[in-house]
Amino acid sequence: MRKRITLISVACWFLAISFYAVEPVWSAKKPAGKPDQTKMDPRQRVFFENKIRPVLVKKCYSCHSSEAEELGGKLRMDTRDGMREGGESGPAFVEGRPNESLLIQALRYDGLEMPPDEPLPESVINDFVTWVKMGVPDPRAEQPLTAMKPIEKTAAANPELWSFQPISDPVIPVVKNAGWCFDRLDQFTLARMESAELTPTHDASPVRLVRRLYFDLIGLPPSAEQVESFLADYQCRQQTAVAALVDELLASPHFGERWGRHWLDVARYGESNGNDGLGRNPTFPQAWRYRDYVIQAFNNDVPYDRFLTEQIAGDLLPAASPEEQDRTLVATGFLAIGSKPAKAMNVNFDMDVVDDQINVVSTAVMGLSVACARCHDHKHDPIPTADYYAMAGIFLSTETLWGFAANQPLTAPETPLHVLKSKHHYVPPPDSGAQPNVDQRTLARKKKPKNVYPPGTALAMGVREKKKPVDCKINIKGESKKLGPSVPRGFLSACNVPQTPRIDAKQSGRLQLAEWLTSAEHPQTSRVMVNRVWLHLFGQALVRTPDDFGVYGEPPTHPQLLDHLATRFRTEGWSIKQLIRSIVLSRTYQLSSFCDEQLLEADPENKLLCRHNRRRLDAESLRDSILAASGQLNREPGLGSSIANVDEMVNKAGNLHLPHQHRSIYLCLLRHSEPPELSAFDLPDSTKPVGKRNETTLPTQSLFLINSDFLIEQGQLFAKDILSNPKQDDAERVHLVYQRALNRAPESSELERALALLQDVDTALKTEISQTELRRVTVWATLCQALLNTNEFRYVD
Amino acid sequence: MLGISRREMLASVSCGFGYLAMSALCGKHSFAAGASGIANLSARSPQLPARAKRVIFLCMSGGPAQLDTFDYKPQTAKKKHPGSVFNFAQHGQSGLWISELLPETAKHADKLCVLNGMHADITNHAQSFLQLHTGDRLRPRPSLGSWVVYGLGTENQNVPGFISIYPSKPSVYSSALLPPVYEGTPIGLNTTNMSTATINNIKSDHVPVAVKRRQLDFVQAMNREHATRRPDDVRLDAVIQSMELGFRMQMTAPELLDLGQETKSTLERYRVGQGKVVGTCKDSDFGRQCLLARRFAEAGVRFIEVNHGSWDQHKNHRADLTANCESTDAPIAALLEDLEQRGLLEETLVVWGGEFGRPGLVPEDKKDSTGHNARGFTFWMAGGGIKGGLAYGKTDETGARAVEGKVHFRDLHATILHQLGLQHDKLTFQQGNREFRLTGTEGGKVVKDIIA
Repeated sequence: MRKRITLISVACWFLAISFYAVEPVWSAKKPAGKPDQTKMDPRQRVFFENKIRPVLVKKCYSCHSSEAEELGGKLRMDTRDGMREGGESGPAFVEGRPNESLLIQALRYDGLEMPPDEPLPESVINDFVTWVKMGVPDPRAEQPLTAMKPIEKTAAANPELWSFQPISDPVIPVVKNAGWCFDRLDQFTLARMESAELTPTHDASPVRLVRRLYFDLIGLPPSAEQVESFLADYQCRQQTAVAALVDELLASPHFGERWGRHWLDVARYGESNGNDGLGRNPTFPQAWRYRDYVIQAFNNDVPYDRFLTEQIAGDLLPAASPEEQDRTLVATGFLAIGSKPAKAMNVNFDMDVVDDQINVVSTAVMGLSVACARCHDHKHDPIPTADYYAMAGIFLSTETLWGFAANQPLTAPETPLHVLKSKHHYVPPPDSGAQPNVDQRTLARKKKPKNVYPPGTALAMGVREKKKPVDCKINIKGESKKLGPSVPRGFLSACNVPQTPRIDAKQSGRLQLAEWLTSAEHPQTSRVMVNRVWLHLFGQALVRTPDDFGVYGEPPTHPQLLDHLATRFRTEGWSIKQLIRSIVLSRTYQLSSFCDEQLLEADPENKLLCRHNRRRLDAESLRDSILAASGQLNREPGLGSSIANVDEMVNKAGNLHLPHQHRSIYLCLLRHSEPPELSAFDLPDSTKPVGKRNETTLPTQSLFLINSDFLIEQGQLFAKDILSNPKQDDAERVHLVYQRALNRAPESSELERALALLQDVDTALKTEISQTELRRVTVWATLCQALLNTNEFRYVD
Repeated sequence: MLGISRREMLASVSCGFGYLAMSALCGKHSFAAGASGIANLSARSPQLPARAKRVIFLCMSGGPAQLDTFDYKPQTAKKKHPGSVFNFAQHGQSGLWISELLPETAKHADKLCVLNGMHADITNHAQSFLQLHTGDRLRPRPSLGSWVVYGLGTENQNVPGFISIYPSKPSVYSSALLPPVYEGTPIGLNTTNMSTATINNIKSDHVPVAVKRRQLDFVQAMNREHATRRPDDVRLDAVIQSMELGFRMQMTAPELLDLGQETKSTLERYRVGQGKVVGTCKDSDFGRQCLLARRFAEAGVRFIEVNHGSWDQHKNHRADLTANCESTDAPIAALLEDLEQRGLLEETLVVWGGEFGRPGLVPEDKKDSTGHNARGFTFWMAGGGIKGGLAYGKTDETGARAVEGKVHFRDLHATILHQLGLQHDKLTFQQGNREFRLTGTEGGKVVKDIIA
């Protein structure tokens, strides 16, 4: 079966691209009698797909299709119309009359001989005879050759795709053990467990719960005191204590640093262009303003619909103050920070920029990859090429402001930037940040930028309207030089959003795009975001492919729960904090990650959520936790970026990273040149949206833990801090190390083991480091670093 | 992004390769059964008898000009037409035509199988380069090296199974949807100075190795206790294993990366430290790269990619191409020589080529710039059970398009896998309901005519 599907998909692919490959036969001359695919007899369709299409693809297309280098006999067999119209020898068939059909004669080697190498097996020829007798039913005309918006047809093509269905507000399921539930959402999970005759595992112990909550909500470990105070409160007030802690964490400025980073993954945030394909990688000196905008937006709990609107059309929103205007201008950086292929010899450059914008909007917001439709109708999802160019028109009518691009016109032509008006913006002093190391030749060649701003001007990347909005012409096969008809600006036709906003001829349509995406009926927007939030709280999303809600994505494990949460999210004012609060106060979230073997066997993948998932700290949390343990973490926001004054090519400028002790989100996220403190641990490559990061286990990570300057230095600083109190004895100090690294006291056997390590290392280093004080720091640093390397430190139960 | 959790993948290790090999032997349609692909590097037998044990891929990025290197196109008509602008001569017993720009490589003519009928789909660097590496020009897919290590594991557990020297970007050594143990380990990336490039954090002298070992023992004791209490979580064991591999690597890899033990004449033969910077030709210390490749091959690394660029001569075709050839000619010749001398060439498949080729220039014409051409270009292979001294495939009289012995990237991939004893259509990985393979849905054809 699988093979068959593969074949069919190949065929579809050939077919889809073939439509745009020849001189367009657009709908203007739509042949009469085109069978409506929806009316095609399903049995005939199956027959065609199983018996006919695979043979056409395998045996005929190489000469008789748009893919053919020379079209054999001027006959195309990759479209129904091509076969009907025929080639040099005339139409390929006479409907219902196999013996008079050229196609059959050729297959029988009667006069003509096709395929030329050897005749097809008799049984296959008979299939073709049957097919012609049937009247040559052929579904391959379902993709219209026109730029008309094929609303009904695409929806019909995929009537069952769940993610295009309206979001329901499911009835809360009845459960036997209603007393178990803390929140309505628990009834959805428990109902599923009960129907599978499973019971949830026990609750997480308060000491594990507090650690989990700290990491999940703010991405930092709790201090020993914070753990203690929570445990005391929990003793008296249980869930009230949990709620109090959750509210405290949601109100913390570190919340935005944690959740903002999740969004930056999805927004493919980077502070340089990334390799443009020619090895050049110009910096984006202003990108950090978008980063700060995102952090702030999460801290201020900007409603998600507004958050999206600001990022897509912030420049078009009315603003009450210059501050507000600037904030929404910076938000549009979302569309400008993409990674672009070089402009040099690339006639498609403008459309490549548009493509990135379509991709980030459709994947981040809708969980759909619309980008495939650039070259052909989407193979599987109901996204025709026309939809792509409807959206493309919106972005083609938008001017993208990325700035000077390191004076590399071959990479990207220079653009202006947004000038921020209010006076309160931080502008990194001219001599701050990294000092690029650029060779004289490059410096000498430097041309002055056309857009010169006085020193101290606060600038931002972003977008604005083009003077003359235009509709986009279909780029045949994605090539800007081969143009088809133009498509009116618009949105995805398969999403049934009543009262689709109308795009004024004078506007790009971005505002309407935002309005459309955030409308109550949009089938994906709220589902996708709720799923992303769930992913970060459970380590596994309800739809396990958070960026793919299409045919190839996984269906939700809990469709009703997903809809319940999506509805709640939308009706409760699109509040991300409220959504998170509801989820973490649920019983389901508070389950232990430990469970008995029976449960494990019954549901090894934990699809039913009978337990919590253990998670590894991501790159940022790992570094932040190490700094927190060593006492070095600077909890103030990092200002600007180390490249805020560097408009250069990363590939030429040498090391542009400057170490600092602020949280990891403030490190300089250069594409293809990530901060060395983070790069070992699966950072997203930030050229496309990434909802769920990889989690690799590589020896290079071990080497980072064992040998990196960062770990060694932090181990030393940790040790110095531990040794700073002369009154303590070694046992007390070991105690302190455990408390700070692992939030717990060592067991007595662990204490002994630690003391033994200290002893052994001290002996081993006697000759190496003769000075006792110096040796003591190194000895203790060995222990401190060791604890930072443990799985207990790096995983959260 | 992996659609299946690491836990699922690792859990399947218990049934391991034996089961998978069985299923392959029993004629099941897939090499890797279901979502439960294996995720370990232990060496395993190939699906078929193998001719090669490892691959060295000399990746010439930018589109090397085939008509001035290996595909000789003299003027044949009265009217001048595009063709070779450099002189060619026949070399070796086979009489293989090779350009004057590659005098050292030419000495190994009888080892080379020159594929002049290569063709690809697209003339954009990024896409075609990705397709050359992963079979797909659009989406993140596993790199050729990842597929190979997935199929065969690796011989030396103290070094990575797939090493990419001076790669341009992670997407070309990525394991993508394959389990992450198959990811390539890069040495030097983008801006790195290749004469010193290394594996990050491979070395540190902050304490003696004995102390590090003692420290790691402490860590591993804690890790084991931690894992014992969490028997369901196989990731934790994977970390324990990986900590050991990392530790072993710091013992073996620095030595492998250290060319100090090589004789002066070897360093000279490889032209170590003599990289050229001329126009598009980048100094990537290609000599050091090739020497490292030989050392990795000796150490049993399964797939080694060596990168050089850029061969993209839109300007100064003659000068830049000359520089590129000069930078790579002697190192490659030294590599072939050493592999042969050590008896490694028989079991090492060496592959040379880039993402496409270039159209020819008209000799004596002033024009000195060439664009991209994907309809006909050249690769060569050597060793690993491939016929030597053979020119396979042809382009038309101007070298513009392949007309005979056409080999697509898919066919190239299929052939490389075949030499390693892997069947391109059976080396598959299942994710969700989809079955992935290097040669994609179209599949490739093993180029049987070039197999010795």
